[in-house]
Amino acid sequence: MSSAAAEPDKASPAIAASSVSKAFGGVQALHAASFAAQAGEVHALVGENGAGKSTLIKVLGGRIAPDSGGVALDGRPVRFASPADAARSGIGTVFQELTLLPWLTVAENLLIGHEPRRFGLVRRAALAPQAEQVLAGLGIHHIDPRALAADVSLAERQIIEIARVITRHPRVLLLDEPTSSLVEREVEWLFARIRDLRAKGTAVVFTSHRWNEITSIADRITIFRNGAEVGTFTGIDEDEAITLMTGQRVETMYPPVPPVPAGAEPALELVEGSVNGTAQLAFTLSAGEILGIGGLAGQGHRELFSGLFGAPPLPRGRIKVDGKQVHIRRPSDAIHASLGIALVPEDRKSEGLLLPLPVRDNLTLPILSSLSRFGVIRGAVERRMCRDMIARLAIRTPNAAQPVGALSGGNQQKVLVGRWLLAESRVLLLYDVTRGVDVATKHEIYELMLRLAGEGRAILFYSSDTEELAHLCHRVLVLRGGRIAAELAAPALNAEAIVTASVREAHAA
Amino acid sequence: MKALSLSADALRIVAAYGAAVLLFVIGAWVHPGFGSFNSITSILLIASFVGLVAAGQCFVVLIGGIDLSVPWVVNAAAILLVTSSLGQDARAPYAIAVTLGMGALAGLANAIGIVWFGVPAVVMTLAMNGIIEGLALGLSGGMTCAACASYAPPVIAAAVHDVWLGIPAALWLWLVVIAVVSFVLSLTRFGRATYAIGNNGRAAYLAGVNVNRTTILLYALSGMFSALAGILLVGFGGQASLGMGAPYLFQSIAAVVIGGVSILGGRGNYLGAAAGAVSLTTLVSVLLALNMPDYGRSIIYGVVILALLLLYGREQRE
Amino acid sequence: MPREATSPGQAAPRRSAMVHIIGQNVGVILAAIVLLVSIAAFCGMFLLQQDRLPGNFEVTSTVNNTMPLALAAIGQTVVVLTRGIDLSVGGVIDLTNALAAIWLTGSTLHMLGVSLLIVLIGAAAGLLNGLVVGLGRLQPIVVTLATLSIFQGLAIRVLPQPGGEVPPSYTDFLVSTNGPTALLFLLAAAIGWMVLRRSRLGVNIFAIGNDEQSAIALGVNAMRTKILAYMLGGALYAIAGLFLAANATAGDATTGDGYTLTSIVAVVLGGVNLFGGRGSAVGAICGAFITTMIVNILFFAHINPLYQSFYEGLFLVIAVVLGALIGRLVRGSR
Repeated sequence: MSSAAAEPDKASPAIAASSVSKAFGGVQALHAASFAAQAGEVHALVGENGAGKSTLIKVLGGRIAPDSGGVALDGRPVRFASPADAARSGIGTVFQELTLLPWLTVAENLLIGHEPRRFGLVRRAALAPQAEQVLAGLGIHHIDPRALAADVSLAERQIIEIARVITRHPRVLLLDEPTSSLVEREVEWLFARIRDLRAKGTAVVFTSHRWNEITSIADRITIFRNGAEVGTFTGIDEDEAITLMTGQRVETMYPPVPPVPAGAEPALELVEGSVNGTAQLAFTLSAGEILGIGGLAGQGHRELFSGLFGAPPLPRGRIKVDGKQVHIRRPSDAIHASLGIALVPEDRKSEGLLLPLPVRDNLTLPILSSLSRFGVIRGAVERRMCRDMIARLAIRTPNAAQPVGALSGGNQQKVLVGRWLLAESRVLLLYDVTRGVDVATKHEIYELMLRLAGEGRAILFYSSDTEELAHLCHRVLVLRGGRIAAELAAPALNAEAIVTASVREAHAA
Repeated sequence: MKALSLSADALRIVAAYGAAVLLFVIGAWVHPGFGSFNSITSILLIASFVGLVAAGQCFVVLIGGIDLSVPWVVNAAAILLVTSSLGQDARAPYAIAVTLGMGALAGLANAIGIVWFGVPAVVMTLAMNGIIEGLALGLSGGMTCAACASYAPPVIAAAVHDVWLGIPAALWLWLVVIAVVSFVLSLTRFGRATYAIGNNGRAAYLAGVNVNRTTILLYALSGMFSALAGILLVGFGGQASLGMGAPYLFQSIAAVVIGGVSILGGRGNYLGAAAGAVSLTTLVSVLLALNMPDYGRSIIYGVVILALLLLYGREQRE
Repeated sequence: MPREATSPGQAAPRRSAMVHIIGQNVGVILAAIVLLVSIAAFCGMFLLQQDRLPGNFEVTSTVNNTMPLALAAIGQTVVVLTRGIDLSVGGVIDLTNALAAIWLTGSTLHMLGVSLLIVLIGAAAGLLNGLVVGLGRLQPIVVTLATLSIFQGLAIRVLPQPGGEVPPSYTDFLVSTNGPTALLFLLAAAIGWMVLRRSRLGVNIFAIGNDEQSAIALGVNAMRTKILAYMLGGALYAIAGLFLAANATAGDATTGDGYTLTSIVAVVLGGVNLFGGRGSAVGAICGAFITTMIVNILFFAHINPLYQSFYEGLFLVIAVVLGALIGRLVRGSR
């Protein structure tokens, strides 16, 4: 497919942003960005993590107000006080953070604000049947409207949220990463609904990382980089798109991976492991190796990583560190195991870092016992260690007393990695560490990973980005249903092979 | 990017002490003699009792908890002290040990319910208050037992009333407590763990902090400080009385919050809580000096707390 | 229809509606069961001692004595559902109790007007709480702690010494000694609760208790909802104060103090979640009666009254722990 720039818009776009800027703390998320979507089109927004796609959707959907610039609906400037306000003007948005109320039923969530009423009071008995009708009308038959939202799977919650928005017949539909938790069949359903809406004249804007999805449904594609639009296309080659997204040629994005030294010692072994009680998981991770874990969301990755760290422990399995069996029942067992295991979790803000606390506290929390004498922290030693680590990782912060919440996403991630380097962990479990990180910092993290591996550390690496897995790992194990479905190594290791191994048999699930 | 949150915390503490000073000035202006050295030290002495209970409350509030068992731990401590010492100096060390032990045990029981059985802190400590009340009243026959009318041992009364360098001994004790607690919270592993848990228990756990053990210790400390306050109170007043612990519950919570400790946990320190205790006690004393009737004191007390909270106790929203 | 609608998933066997309703209302159901058990235990003990079942007198006095707590518990429930807590309950009851004792005289119409005014005063007290919590963005526990002081002070100003008098006709109407007619008022309150739950305000209250940020994104006016919730609470505490005055036939400006903490106990025993978003006022009413039943049982079991608090505290812990366990079991079977 050759790239073709889009024709200039003739009629007023259904929704448009002009010169929108937005900064959070010291970070400029949107930089005088402009965007326009026409009625009756499906418009994809693509870009790296941190390029500003989500922020743009939040501005268009009324969730945040821009610092400057404005939004126009059918050519008329508008300003929204909240997403509900935008909804009243016909803009339906499904944000990345779902707004389902956990202790209300699916039916109550689906119909909130539009419940069946008599004399002004909700007819509770009619909630479930009406919800059933709404869901059926959208082709959803497998979700029980009487179930609590908290008891339903993540994919089902995403579908419910999408259904809730679609059923209001929006003139503009904004979807931020709607397919992140969905499997192929659910994605097909969503695209069928999107096509229905497009036929009715709705403008659909969605963000996604999955190229095959984008090409299958988008009429136009706008590429974002560093907070601003780079171009809008009706058709574009994937490699060219990646180049525009990252500002670099694909070939130079990833540093070369040196091979694992021969005779490397096994650092971490899992034998007869299980994440869901049924299947057998086993692997060996050697010193100096970067072992990738691939596969679709929800196939056991999170349980595996948490389990190896003891938070919570794996339901079954024997773990060996440096050849010796260890019992990991809680994180401190993992941290203090002979080689030291470290987990850099998926959500650094809620699981990794303590945002209001200083960089210093975040860096030294696991190693306080060795930094203390009779329980009292040796301040000078701590200060020196923090200074050295900040310099070593080039963490951009005025000093170690700065609350870590004030740092940019990439620097926050570095603090998290720095913590485990200070703890001298030789086994690193990295779970989606480049999520929400800007391109420049991603580079630094890639190079850091390779340097650490070169020093003889063992790295277990999960990423939702198959390109990263393909380019950074020595081997990749693809998980499916809690089992290892495939093991890929050079020369068979590439993004396509990972995806194929992830989805094969998806229909049989 | 300025380290805003740190100086905001310091600002709150300064404001809390400032409020106390302002109140002293108002009192002195209205009622000459109020600002005299003796008057100030006796007000501070009263404040120390609140301050000690507030130390325990501060510990648990920092991890997002609360201790509603204060009233009866204080009261039971007073009863236990007089009944185990029977007014004799020789038995004083034993009595003090037993009493502090009771406080620690109460705190331990609170923590077990909260940590192992998942009972919310409000409920567990409230229930513990009732349990201790029942036990204290039952075992002492409604405070009618022979030993209950005993006085506190002279050595304890002296520890409260004796004056060294013009300052009551109990006040010196409080100063030591302020120094030790502040030291522990800011410079030790235990203190770091406390703030970590208060900010994000899950993240603290994933960083290797032993959340359960720290929580248990914090509640045990809270119980001990309440018991210590009970001991000093009975040394101050001479005898144990029914309901003597009741005022200290709300006062300790108010002191902690006015002092800049977030009720949600993770922010603030004991220096601020101590300032809050001083401000509150001064406020009550000023109102008394103004010959304000009972009802007026209550109303103004509530209004001033609201005002102080609105001024600088806000939870910032992003 | 040009295109077939693809379904995103296969239909799985559904649980029946009844199973869902039970699973989602474990709190109320357990409270009702515990209440029935405690009533049975009490009746059993009474029978053993007095050779008869509790009669009209016992039932009536139990109901009349529990009315204030039940009403206060309903008010506390509304506040707790928004993920708040109200420590000023005792103060509002003090104040309204005191006002009732001195204002309730004269004609029926006058007393009706006075009662209405007192309820409005309770709502105004709640308005103060709601404004400071909503606008001032302070935590409910500390705000209501401060307002408790204010209301207690006002109560003492109104009625410095216990006294005043409540006309027998008023007492008879609210808490008749002839029979448990007060239950009718509770029934009205329960109906009121069901109306609230189905109203827009009720939906909003549950929404912000579940997840305030999501509720705001869905269009709920969080500030207005909180203010209304605290006002409703205040009005209910005021009604509780009226019942207290009617029951005691006189006023006392400090008699309401204990209701702060006991209303929280009743709410917890009723299965209302202290973190917001889940629970029912019907459960809170059951919780209030359970509290009274425990006291009655302890009395008839000849437990030394000095140990009463011990057993109450122990019961509270056991009830909460068991309730949580059972709740986990019921939901865990998914």
